[in-house]
This record gives sequence, C-alpha cells and structure tokens, in this order.
Amino acid sequence: MKLFEYQAKELFEQIQIPVPNRVLIENPEEMAKATDEIGFPCVLKAQVLQGGRGKAGLIKLVSTIDEAHLQAEAIFSKAQNMSGLLIEEALQIDKELYVSITADPVSGTAMMMACSEGGIDIEEIAKNIPEKIHKITIDLSQGIQTYQVRGLLYEMGLDDRLIGTGTKLLMDLYHVFRNHEAELVEINPLIVTKDGKLMAGDGKISIDDNALFRHPQFQVTRAYYENDAEFEAAEEGIPYIQFDGDIGLMCAGAGLTNTVFDLVNDYGGNVANYLEFGGPNYHKAKKAMEIMMKNDIKVLLIVTFGTIARADVMAEGIVEAMKELNPPFPIVAAVRGTGEEKAHELLRSVNIDPLIDTEQAVIKAIALSGGVKQ
Amino acid sequence: MSIILDQSTRVLVQGITGKEGSFWTKHMIDYGTNVVAGVTPGREGQNVAGVPVFHTVKRAVRNIPVEASLLFVPPRFAKEALFEALEAGIKKVVILCDGIPLHDAIQMRKAAISAGAMVIGGNTSGIISMGQAMMGFFPYWLERVYKPGRIGIMTRSGSLTNEITAEVVRAGFGASSLIGIGGDPVPLTRFAEVLPLFEEDPNTDAVVLIGELGGTMEEEVAEAIENKIFTKPLVAFLGGRTAPKGKKMGHAGAIITAGKGTVKDKMIALKNAGALVAERPRQVGTLLESILASKI
Repeated sequence: MKLFEYQAKELFEQIQIPVPNRVLIENPEEMAKATDEIGFPCVLKAQVLQGGRGKAGLIKLVSTIDEAHLQAEAIFSKAQNMSGLLIEEALQIDKELYVSITADPVSGTAMMMACSEGGIDIEEIAKNIPEKIHKITIDLSQGIQTYQVRGLLYEMGLDDRLIGTGTKLLMDLYHVFRNHEAELVEINPLIVTKDGKLMAGDGKISIDDNALFRHPQFQVTRAYYENDAEFEAAEEGIPYIQFDGDIGLMCAGAGLTNTVFDLVNDYGGNVANYLEFGGPNYHKAKKAMEIMMKNDIKVLLIVTFGTIARADVMAEGIVEAMKELNPPFPIVAAVRGTGEEKAHELLRSVNIDPLIDTEQAVIKAIALSGGVKQ
Repeated sequence: MSIILDQSTRVLVQGITGKEGSFWTKHMIDYGTNVVAGVTPGREGQNVAGVPVFHTVKRAVRNIPVEASLLFVPPRFAKEALFEALEAGIKKVVILCDGIPLHDAIQMRKAAISAGAMVIGGNTSGIISMGQAMMGFFPYWLERVYKPGRIGIMTRSGSLTNEITAEVVRAGFGASSLIGIGGDPVPLTRFAEVLPLFEEDPNTDAVVLIGELGGTMEEEVAEAIENKIFTKPLVAFLGGRTAPKGKKMGHAGAIITAGKGTVKDKMIALKNAGALVAERPRQVGTLLESILASKI
C-alpha cells in the first residue's frame, strides 16, 4: 500500500524527522487560508500516487495569491485521483540528497541506500553514476547501529557539521521502516537548506500489504486506486490492473496470468485487463466476472491450471456467473488441473468449448476479438 | 534418486490437524512420503492418518527422529513455526503459505542462513520427487504433468509450473524433482542455491527453470552457469516478458538490481551464460528435445 506524500510526511513528523511547514487543502477555495499560514513563495503539490509529478505539471512554485489560485485551478482540473493539494513552504536549497530503505532478499537484511545526488530519478542515478550510491545492510534482530549510519554519511561526503543531525535522521527513518513494516521508505530529495539544515523534501512510503493486519491505522479506500474496477477487485483481494485493449483476461496464478498476457501480445492481440483469481480466490469466479463486465471487452479469455485452485470449483463459478449475469461477450476457456473432467462437463453445459491448450485458447480469443491489430 | 527429499526422508508436519494439513498429509502418505510425526499445540496424543501428534516440535523430535518439516500454518505464524523447527535442529523446511509479512520473511531468510538450513518457500506448492515423495500439495494424479523422469524443475510459480511441466511431459520427458521455491519477494531458498543439488544428482540430466519478472534470481542462475557451478543443460521459461512495469516494482526494488529485473534482461543474461530460453511454453519441450537428443 503506497502512501501519499502528505501521509509519509505525517509519519516523518511523528518521529521528528524534519519536514517543511505545510497545509493540505481539499479544494481551491481553501487556498487563501493555507497561504496565510505558509506564506510566499510556496509550492503546490498534487497528492497523487504516480511518480513524475513535476514533469506532469502537478508541482508548481508560486509567489503570489493570484498565481496560487491560477495554478491550483489548473492542477485540480488536470490531476486524476488526487487526494488533496499540499501547500508547502519553499525551501532555500543548497543541496539535494537521496536516501531510502528497503529489503535485501539475498542476505535477509534491511538495506539503506544513500546518494549525494538526489532530486532526480534514482534509476537514472543507478544507471549513470552507480559509484555514488552507498549502501549498508541492517540485521533486523540487531537493529540499526549509529556507526553504520555515520559511516554511510561520511562515504557520501556529507558536510561534517551535518553528520550529527544526519545520523539521527537516518536512525529515525529506519524506525519508520520498522514500526510500520514498510517495503520501502524513501526521501528524495533530502534537502540541505542554505542555513544548514536537513529536511525531507518529499516522502515515499509503501506499507507491506501482507502486514496490514498488524497496522489497522492504514485503511484501504478508493483514493488509493486508479479506477473503480481496481478498487472493487482490491476489496475482494483479487489482483487487477486495467489496460486499454479488448481481450479480458481472467486467469489463475500470477505466473500463468503473466504468460497468457505475453502470448496475447505475441500473437497480436490487445489485453484489456489483468485479473488473477487463483490461490485463495479460486471460488470467486462470479465476482471476477462481475468486475469483467464493468469493462468494455470483446471477448473473455479464461486460462487456469490449478492444484488447490480446483478446476471444477472455478468452472462452477463460471457457469453460475453465465446464468445469473448473462455476460454480453463470448468466452474462451482453458480450465485445467485438479477436477478438470468435471470442469469440462460444466463448461459444455453452458456451451463453452473446454480447450486444453493455452496457445490455442489465445489464438481463438484474438480471432473473436476481431483479429490481429496493427 | 532425487534431491532434498525421497521416500526415506523422515517428515514432520507442523499444523497437521488443520483442514489442509490433515487432507494433504493423507495424500502425501498415499504418494509414498514417510510422514513420521505432526505438531499442533494442544493436540498431543491424537493422530492424523496414523501419524502421532505432539504439542511442540521439541517434544516430537525427542520421541521420533525427524529430518524435514513441512509447515501448514497461516502466514502470520510462519516465522514462529520456522524458528521452532530450526531451534529443534531440523535442517530442511518447506513453508507453503502465501502472505508472509515482508519483515518476517527477511528475518526468516537470515535465520535460515545462520542455521545452515535449506528452507523452501513461502508461497509455494512445495517440493515433489516424482514417484517417491512430496512435501506440499501437488495433484500428482494428473498424469500429463506429474511423470517421473530425468529433468529437474525449479519454479517461482504454481499454475505456470503445471503448464510448463505438461509441455516437458508432452515432449516425452518426465521430472526427477520439482522444487517450488515460491513466488514471494524474499524466497527463503534461491534458484542458484538449488542448482548445486541438481548438478550432483546422477538422475537429473537437465534443469528447467520457470521464472518471472522482478528480483535477481534468474541473473544469479546465469552467474552460476558462467562460473561452472552448474554445467548441465538448462532451459528457462520466464513469464512477464511483455508486462509493463509491475506495480510491485518500486523504485528502490529496481535500483538494488541496477538495471536487472526485467524479463528481457534476464533472458539476455541466461542466453549469454549458455542457457536455452523458451519464448513460449511449447518451446520448452522442443528445446529439451534438441539438447537431450544430441547427447544420446
């Protein structure tokens, strides 16, 4: 679960990581009150989850109230799925740094990374100046040690006068990572101000979905999703991603779904969505079909090859959905695995030809969608 | 012969009295697995399919020698259950559940390394040595998938494994051992750590790797081939070649790997190391035919 910048900064503030003064507004009418508090110049920052906000025109520096109103109107009309606008004091920037913490799956540790060149996409840094990225690993059972953090800061060439506050900041950041069971915490840029202070210019936190049961303060709402179908699927625990093609995918298992996705692309079809109803969701075929019907598709392609996710149970759900929902699109199905003989009987009862071969199913679905696209 | 598990391996099942635990324990015994004991706190004295149940792992191993443990526990208890098995001295553990919290998984990986134990999982169907024994849940009665033979299989995925293994069988081959290392971001055993076992196994002629986007495990396999740690033929199939950047691939995740992680990069790394890479499931069979026929 990715958090919005304003939420990340709230978590930073709670643990005393320095953050700029800021106010979150819900609509442009609240602007005057916010700028009275923050003053000019200030920065307007759209609270959306996607990256590249600057390039998309969703972050603007403004110096007057008129300019603030104008830019706020533009951002509110342009941004989709925005959870408010952050009005933030403009800092006097001396330098921009990068720091993050994530998991190192090879050694079984947490990994803290820092770079003296922040503010730009970290993947660019990794590609162009990998030697400037410094790393330490932290054994979770021992916890983070100050000498490690101090060493990291010296390696990245931080000004001697900032080593003390920098060490405290990174120790605190580790506690944010641990306390909230994050997959990722990132400050980019970590700003050195002209008056020699460190401050979190941005904040990115992603909480581990598998640990959310231990962190009830993070509630999943529509705000975290790009569209209704993705949110509805998420509420059911069904992985779903929207694309703009016309072949709907309803597959079981992440690996098989990815493979069917590849095959559709290889054979020249266009995928409308990724929907995976395997694992614990194999009895949710009907719900999955309901979600599919929110989508304007020309054909539905169902591919499964399950073990625990029994083929007969999935076929029962498909048949039930066919009868109750009467989907307006043709269905191509390769439903295999445990209980497949019964599954095939069930599918035939609603006039679906049960296929055995995945590639054959893909080719048939593309033909039904109107053939190969340009 | 096989790797990690055969019909003589003495298996403990943690969480044996649960619905899934008891159901699959029966299937494992039917298949030939030597299940010698089970653990469920509060249920000592009972039995499941003739297998005695104990309160704790320590109490079980005090009574009955155990070599391997299979965890049928919910994800939130996986860490504890693993620590309990490791503390009792068990060196082979298979963890099936999907949904282990990341911070738990990191600590589990560290603990497994420290204990010198091979811990497989989570988020896997388990491991099966064809025609001999299994730890986990496999529909071994599907003959067009679960056929004994001389191909080692290791995989990050469940349903894709059925798809690919069916192609291996269709081409006239069968599997020696199938190792489901699982689909979690922190697999407790990595592909490259399984390879030396297949290298040593006289009954494995080649390995099929079923991988996918994300992480660096396929790249590590390429390195193992380059460094001659693994010298048998290897055929790889990777899912997610055309996937747009996945939602799970955050910035920091991609950056650790510095340009690694996409399927295209993985395919190049494997090909450069000398592995054969199938673009489609069907090609796994034809590639195996091409290399193994030429060896005979």
